[in-house]
Amino acid sequence: MSGDPQGAVGQGAVGQGAVAQGTVGQGAVGRGAVGQSVLRREDDYLLRGQGRFVDDLPAPLNTLHLAFVLSPYAHARILSIDVSEARALDGVVDVLTGTDLAAMVKPIAAQIELPGYSFNTRDVLAIDEVRFAGEAVAVVVAESAYLAEDGVELVDVDYEPLPALTEIGEATDPDAPQVNPTVPGNVYYEGRFATEGVDAGFEAAAHVISEDFHSSRVTAVPIEPRGCLAVPEHAGNLVFYSSTQIHHLLRTALAEFLDVAESTLRVVVPDVGGGFGIKAALYPEEFVCAALALRLRRPVKWIQDRYEALLTDVHARDNHYRVQAAVDDDGIVLALKAEIRTNGGAYSALPFGCTLETTGGARMIVGPYRITEYTYTATAVATHTAPVLAYRGVAQPVCFMAIEGIMDRIARRLELDPAEVRLRNMVPTAELPWTNIVGVRYDTGSFVESLEQAMEMANYDEFRARQEAQGRLVDGKYRGIGICTFTEVSGTGAPGWRARGLTRLPGFDSGTIKVEPTGKVTAFVSHAHSGQGHFTTFAQVVADELGARLEDVTVVEGDTAAGPYGTNTFASRSAVTGGGALIRASEKARLKLARLAAAMLESTPEDIVVAGGQLHVAGVPSRALSFGEVAETAYAMNTFDLPEGESFGIEETDFYDPPLVTMANATHIAQVAVDAGDGTVDIEGYTVVHDCGRVINPMIVDGQVMGGVAQGIGEALMEEFVYDADGQVRTATLADYLLPSSVDVPNFQIAHIESPSIDAVGGFKGVGEGGLIGAVPSIVNAVADALFDLGVNVNTKPLRPALLSRLIREA
Amino acid sequence: MTDEYEVTVTVNGRNRASRVEARRLLADFLRHDLGLTGTHIGCEQGVCGACTVLLDGRTARSCLHFAVAVDGSDIRTVEDLADLDELHPIQEMFHQKHALQCGFCTPGFLLTAVELLESTPDPDEATIREALMNNVCRCTGYANIVDAVAEAAVQLRQGRQP
Repeated sequence: MSGDPQGAVGQGAVGQGAVAQGTVGQGAVGRGAVGQSVLRREDDYLLRGQGRFVDDLPAPLNTLHLAFVLSPYAHARILSIDVSEARALDGVVDVLTGTDLAAMVKPIAAQIELPGYSFNTRDVLAIDEVRFAGEAVAVVVAESAYLAEDGVELVDVDYEPLPALTEIGEATDPDAPQVNPTVPGNVYYEGRFATEGVDAGFEAAAHVISEDFHSSRVTAVPIEPRGCLAVPEHAGNLVFYSSTQIHHLLRTALAEFLDVAESTLRVVVPDVGGGFGIKAALYPEEFVCAALALRLRRPVKWIQDRYEALLTDVHARDNHYRVQAAVDDDGIVLALKAEIRTNGGAYSALPFGCTLETTGGARMIVGPYRITEYTYTATAVATHTAPVLAYRGVAQPVCFMAIEGIMDRIARRLELDPAEVRLRNMVPTAELPWTNIVGVRYDTGSFVESLEQAMEMANYDEFRARQEAQGRLVDGKYRGIGICTFTEVSGTGAPGWRARGLTRLPGFDSGTIKVEPTGKVTAFVSHAHSGQGHFTTFAQVVADELGARLEDVTVVEGDTAAGPYGTNTFASRSAVTGGGALIRASEKARLKLARLAAAMLESTPEDIVVAGGQLHVAGVPSRALSFGEVAETAYAMNTFDLPEGESFGIEETDFYDPPLVTMANATHIAQVAVDAGDGTVDIEGYTVVHDCGRVINPMIVDGQVMGGVAQGIGEALMEEFVYDADGQVRTATLADYLLPSSVDVPNFQIAHIESPSIDAVGGFKGVGEGGLIGAVPSIVNAVADALFDLGVNVNTKPLRPALLSRLIREA
Repeated sequence: MTDEYEVTVTVNGRNRASRVEARRLLADFLRHDLGLTGTHIGCEQGVCGACTVLLDGRTARSCLHFAVAVDGSDIRTVEDLADLDELHPIQEMFHQKHALQCGFCTPGFLLTAVELLESTPDPDEATIREALMNNVCRCTGYANIVDAVAEAAVQLRQGRQP
């Protein structure tokens, strides 16, 4: 089987302990924990069925349960809501509507500071008007989840249906209904950018290559639906358990919109069953649940069902791209124009806002290419559909489908190989660091190398030769090969968010290293996992940087009461920001250990070597103390006086805000067979060469890549969230919204190139999203290549059998 | 409030008797009445497979059964696979092969794999993929799960006791 999780080609060249020999309190030299495929600590309890997801937490016996009344209409006036029958039901404690909740929760709003952005707010339960199918209009509070559902059935809402719009193209029609009262013309935002020489580039061009690309709406579908449990504690405090990716941001938002003291709130993230970005949104249900727990002075719990998840989780990717490239006779892109329109849905969702995909696509589309003249217009429109926010890859699967589709079209026009066109336009490694046309710095990378290595692994040249010799149609299947070489935004710092109008999104994360009295190490980090293996990977980082034994390090995260503030876990941040913060905190703690050990051993800190949970005098391994022996001094648990100037304990905190962004890169190559009869697509080969800088745990990195590719296969070939013309949902179950299964996803070949970041502490770059980003364009390009002889234009996704068989028939 | 009915089942080898509403889902009964929260609910539509248990030895969606309707049956859940010291060989291979990430779908995959390997001790890759195709994993991309089941089959054939 080719999906070998240990198969990291090029591993080991880099990735040794980052601490140089000879520094004060130097760390372990040689083979560190970082770079090893350490098996996960998370596995044992999850495999035993002892995971504690939010619905698994023991709720207090007097817990109340919520169920929401969802609008069946995409757009309607609420004429009346009769809750009397529901409220009379035995076991129902209360039924509340939008006006009731408005007294407890302010309208929620994303804070976006972009010129021309139309600020808009959302009531946590709709008042007077509903704006998408599934928007909640009332909530039933009952003694059990079953009774709450019974109550929902008895709430009688009288709606006056109104015309709905769902498509980007309809939103700006002059006679279109206005979705949101503060969003004139249904345009949330329109951004523009242009360099001076774009027109000159197009005038000088030998060829202008243009295409419109369309991307279907999808949603992440983590297998665990969302949920939360709010438990009032003493003195009016509230402990709020949520399946969120952003516990600190959630706590701040709860404080703001509920108007309670942030210090009385504690947000705890239990195990989370996949997030993929959709759990990095702040949802109305969370505010309602917290508000009702405080109001009713009882624990309140809400667990979403799948129908609600599909309708109300944030969606993604409903985008149109019109791209034009001015190209010379060698296939070099002289200038690029992009007209990007994104469907933001009915409200600008928190915390990133409806412009996330808009500004993301506009800024990322230039990718690994030397685009020196560039202009874009980027528009986010409002429609009567679910709000759109983050899903793994944010904008990048689509903007790379566009630019990589353009590269293939250049190749076809000029009769060049698609790989050759890419190589001619790429920024070569020798020219890095390089700052792209929108000001994003690529510090290190391997665009050319990743493409060349992927071509070799995929036997690209042989495939092309076979195609040449035999033609594309063999045994009833059209075979094609598709490339996507791309940059992957990760580890975004505050400057990166500010550049996109997200001035209230911090960027930094925090780490605290606590060496306990027994010498064991607790590492607190401001992240929250949803399957990434943080308990393992962060321990690897700390072990190396502190000089501790891996088994002595315990990682604690996902709790606002444990450790300082941070920006939390989304957008491929954790290795970069959490890793960076833990490295800095570890260094402080290591230095303190060295100072204490030096005093105890009558040496100097400069001469203390820290490794394997021991501190010894350089060159004299026998003059050694364990972490525990040194910690006893710090905690006054022996007869050794704390040296002058030292404080008690060993507890060090630091923060890390990465640069603008930390740019990873990769190449994906997909080989497909399209059935000439029924249009089904088989993926016959899939190759990834990924560069996320210094790799912490190759096994986990490969897992991230493979999982991302699987989601990309779904997005490219089957997933589509469908509204009909009236805004009714056609994909309200997982039997309609199709996810890839074990027979749809092939085995992979994966290799890594390690180009450690020189801008980010630790050299790490993110890896969470690349799998998905590269899969969509490479598969779409492969299908286009397979059908090349038919002269059909493949510029949309998903590429379902019905679409492809029609294209083949009509060719 | 609806009437309650007596239900007596064997769960993981233990006799369990309880009174439940007729509409109580088996999944909720296991999770919230018996405290066996390893069985997860992902869709309540019978599609995702996270709630898979073994019902009289065969995989079943516990979200599509009412507890009263399985009165008298023998049920195995993920909590029954390991002993205090050692994981079941299938679980151990999931660990070794990194066949889980968030772990939410994992119990359903494990029980599906148990059923497969009890009936087909030496499955090829295609057989494994087909057996797993009704369980959805959104994290792993499946390859490591397929590997883990294949390797567990080897271990079990070599006589490692579950």
